Amino acid sequence: MSVIVLLLIPLAATALVCLPLKRAWPMGVTVAANLALLILTARLAWWVADGNAAVSAPQVWLLKWIAVDGLSALILLLIALVATTAAIFSIGYLGHENLPPFKLRLYYANYNLFIFSMLAVPVLAEPTLVWIVVELTTLCSALLVSFDNTREALEASWKYVLLSLMGAGLALFGFLVLFAAMQASGVQTAYTWNGLVAAAPKMPPILLQTSFVFILIGLGTKVGLVPMHTWLPDAHSQAPSPVCALLSGVETTAVLYVILRLFPVMHASPGAHAEIWALVLGLISVGTAAFLLLQVRDYKRMFAYSTVEHMGVILTAVGLGAAVAGYGAMQQILAHSVTKSFCFFAAGSVLLMAGTREIAAVRELVRRSPVAGAALVFGGLAITGAPPLAIFLSEFTILKAGLTQGQYLATGLLAAFIVIAFFGVMLHVNRMVFGSPTEGRMNGSSDKWMNGSQPASSDGATTPSIHQSKSPPIQPARLPFSCGLALVLAAIPVLVLGLYMPEPLHELLTQAAAVLK
Amino acid sequence: MNQLVENLNALMGGLFLLAAFGMVAMRQARGCLNLFITQSVLLAASAALLGVRYHSEHLYGVAIVNLISKPLIVPWLLRKTSLEEIYTRREVDQVLNIPTALLIALGLTILAYFLGRPLSNAVGSEFRGPNVSIGIAGLLLGAFTLTVRREAVPLLLGVLAMENGAFFAGIAISRNLPMLVELAIATDGLIIVFIMGVLTRAVQKHIGTTAVGELAALKEEAAEPASEEVLAK
Amino acid sequence: MTQRILFNLLQVLVVMIFAPLASGVSSRLKEIIQSKRGPSIFQPYRDLWKLFHKDEIVSEDSSWVFRFTPYMVFVAPIFVTLLIPVLTNYPLFFAFMGDMLGGGFVLSLGGFFATLAAVDTANPYGPVGASRTRMVGFLAEPVFMIVFFTVSFVAGSTIPYIVQQKWVTPLANFFLPSHVLLVLAFLMLILAEGGRIPVDNPTGHFELAMIDESKSLEYSGRGFALMKWGGQMKFFVLLCIFLNVLVTPWGLAGNQTLGAISLLPPVTGPDLRLIAVLLAIPLVLFKILCFLLVLVAIESSLSKLRLFRISEFLGAAFITSVAAMIAQVFL
Repeated sequence: MSVIVLLLIPLAATALVCLPLKRAWPMGVTVAANLALLILTARLAWWVADGNAAVSAPQVWLLKWIAVDGLSALILLLIALVATTAAIFSIGYLGHENLPPFKLRLYYANYNLFIFSMLAVPVLAEPTLVWIVVELTTLCSALLVSFDNTREALEASWKYVLLSLMGAGLALFGFLVLFAAMQASGVQTAYTWNGLVAAAPKMPPILLQTSFVFILIGLGTKVGLVPMHTWLPDAHSQAPSPVCALLSGVETTAVLYVILRLFPVMHASPGAHAEIWALVLGLISVGTAAFLLLQVRDYKRMFAYSTVEHMGVILTAVGLGAAVAGYGAMQQILAHSVTKSFCFFAAGSVLLMAGTREIAAVRELVRRSPVAGAALVFGGLAITGAPPLAIFLSEFTILKAGLTQGQYLATGLLAAFIVIAFFGVMLHVNRMVFGSPTEGRMNGSSDKWMNGSQPASSDGATTPSIHQSKSPPIQPARLPFSCGLALVLAAIPVLVLGLYMPEPLHELLTQAAAVLK
Repeated sequence: MNQLVENLNALMGGLFLLAAFGMVAMRQARGCLNLFITQSVLLAASAALLGVRYHSEHLYGVAIVNLISKPLIVPWLLRKTSLEEIYTRREVDQVLNIPTALLIALGLTILAYFLGRPLSNAVGSEFRGPNVSIGIAGLLLGAFTLTVRREAVPLLLGVLAMENGAFFAGIAISRNLPMLVELAIATDGLIIVFIMGVLTRAVQKHIGTTAVGELAALKEEAAEPASEEVLAK
Repeated sequence: MTQRILFNLLQVLVVMIFAPLASGVSSRLKEIIQSKRGPSIFQPYRDLWKLFHKDEIVSEDSSWVFRFTPYMVFVAPIFVTLLIPVLTNYPLFFAFMGDMLGGGFVLSLGGFFATLAAVDTANPYGPVGASRTRMVGFLAEPVFMIVFFTVSFVAGSTIPYIVQQKWVTPLANFFLPSHVLLVLAFLMLILAEGGRIPVDNPTGHFELAMIDESKSLEYSGRGFALMKWGGQMKFFVLLCIFLNVLVTPWGLAGNQTLGAISLLPPVTGPDLRLIAVLLAIPLVLFKILCFLLVLVAIESSLSKLRLFRISEFLGAAFITSVAAMIAQVFL
């Protein structure tokens, strides 16, 4: 029963947000609703981790397809967690610009609708319904991505919608073939994930393989696997930062969850090969993203490429195939969601302080806003896998599993790419936070923020040193309180999970990994 | 009688393919919309014919759902959400010239036939006709349309054409999908049209043109720094 | 046997006599659609009569090609008439002299000579139109080839009479996707080869825009009459191929039947077959009239394509014919 309540909360929040009450009403409703979601999903996850399966009681109509097991509970928990922190961050982020109340309500209504669509993905057990909800996530987030209504934001949003829908079309065909395969197997079960596993041994392998490839490529477009990733840096950089946190942190993970659901089906069928696809595609994604990270010009795009990289790492882990690698993949999912959301909060704070997305135009951030600078450094270290933070542990688990499995080449490549990504990210972050302003300023617009309230001089780029000696010291600025609060809240799991895995979480991850077998 | 139905079904398939080719090559946005409507009607007709062949009422339901949602509601929704004048757009110069695009489309069709044959044989021994191959061809041609068109309306219709293609294959091989799922997929299509219509309107308002395929400002080699709009935030 | 030769010659006579009528009816219908009265449907006959009685002026700078061409253009469709089913659905005496490919080549032989003659006169508009005609012709050749190949693939033979039997027998074959797509492709081909809108404007007088009309710009008197008549016969022959082989292979005189109706009494005699063939003439003319209605509707609703877009039009025809072939081979 609580699963249905889980889905109804965001819908109710959407309806409530639309009421034209005080200015703080939408924000308060959203934060409250997401906190409630967090509590409910935590309880659900605890219950599932104890070994119970959650199936909603009345088996009628739509409800008969609602089922939650270990993997679903993990994803639900992550969605709720990131949704809460992003809602808190939105308060400060959007409050900074004086938006008309209508636009503010639109944002929060869209936000809650997006959360609803994402929550529905792990909860439904019928693959075609899951496909529908995945499309819904694209559609609900399209208007969020284009929220700024600038030229770049609209282009990014259009590209996002188009490529995602193209992938969804391919995936639809894959799901229809999957249904045909299940009918051809002759086993009389319902068309759910569990039913598919039961029917898999008798399915004609060619149908299963074809549907797997189509779904991998189609939904892989939405996950951001290379070479279908071209929309991801644009969309995940042009959206407002809390939305970026949601998109990068949990939405790509939720769609990856759908792909992961196919792996037990492929294992159960004798003639089907899934691991090799996952391994190759994952390694290509990690490698391409690592190299692309070296030459970004925009720090939000940098974090977006890092998302591509981590999706590739998760897929590689699943492709390595051992039980330990599966556990490592789950751990990576958990660590990546919490860390990536923190990174985007940090990026959002930098954007608020610096006013520009260009890496080359941001220098000496530590003077302007120590909080933003520290957050950026922490985020950069965390996302690239520095100890003692969360991602280090999960990547270590994966690499160890790969070595014990004997897959030296794949593990070696993975490690090399992770190191390259580390260099790329830290290079940029270092320049941004500690770099001296005399290196590589672009034009007078960056003078504006560095010199506080003084008007920009006309010859910014030509005579840097003379100009610098005359300018007053950089005035620090304050980050809005809610942004800081969100940063702290998001940093806690990143720190904690790098040192210690709480027992219930460990149970949950084990359950989730067991689903993959 | 069965032979007649099978041949008519194959005819619908052939015309469906032709409509997909037309969407690749048609320059006018309104012409593209008409071709999409034709394609949807042909899909409904094929579903009805297969329903006659298999004596399955489920397929009649699919035909009716498709007949109502795509030829009727989609154009209405498009008119409501985006501006009327985008229908007058025509692409004066294309990404690829039309004969080359048509030849590539032909190659994709042949590829689709090679993909579809083993699938069609693996599902079972009942009559399936060319639906699977033509469905895959429709899917690939829809994806191809997305790469060669620049205007907003043909791009949107390419997405919907991909779903048409997937469905055309689906009515032959996965006939017993629950009706609820069919309705949900149809509603999904309508939501797609709504959202993309709203986006198109926003693009038209803020950028001034609906040639969205030409927007290419987001690259790694962007020369100018972030624009003043960001500073104004 | 003599009867078969007789029927063959009867076919030629029918084509020769009724081709200008088809042209006259077509222009009258077009004018009616435009709310005008239009000339009488027998006007082309009067034009031909007038032209045969006029003097012929031939340029001094032209060669033998210029003088030879009108006869070539007149005779080529007659040769093709011997090969195709116009009145009967059983093969006649000359039926196996050449198949559909051969017929197509003979028709284009006439067109080839017309192009040469247009270049021969040194009138600048001649080569302009000739080069355009060649462009349309060369783009239309692949479509011709593929249509004929697909049709022969289906029927197992390239002789038009045998092809026609295959389409007729089970009615379900009429709805084969390859059949419908071939009909569409061939229709576009008729529009291109016959010089109709959207490829060319047959009533246009602006020489810079002429494609097909320019071939007879320099002719006068008897040469002009032969060129005109030959052009009308070529169009009539194309229509016969289209209608009698592809679209409506019914209503032709059979050995004992007229179309699908069997003639009484069942005793077959040479006179009965002659009557059947004579009865087939108005049926064929009726079919051509119906098709002319469709053609006029198409012509009046489209506009002439710009020159560089003709390649797109014929490209679409090519794709349609290849789609028909695919639908046939992979079905």
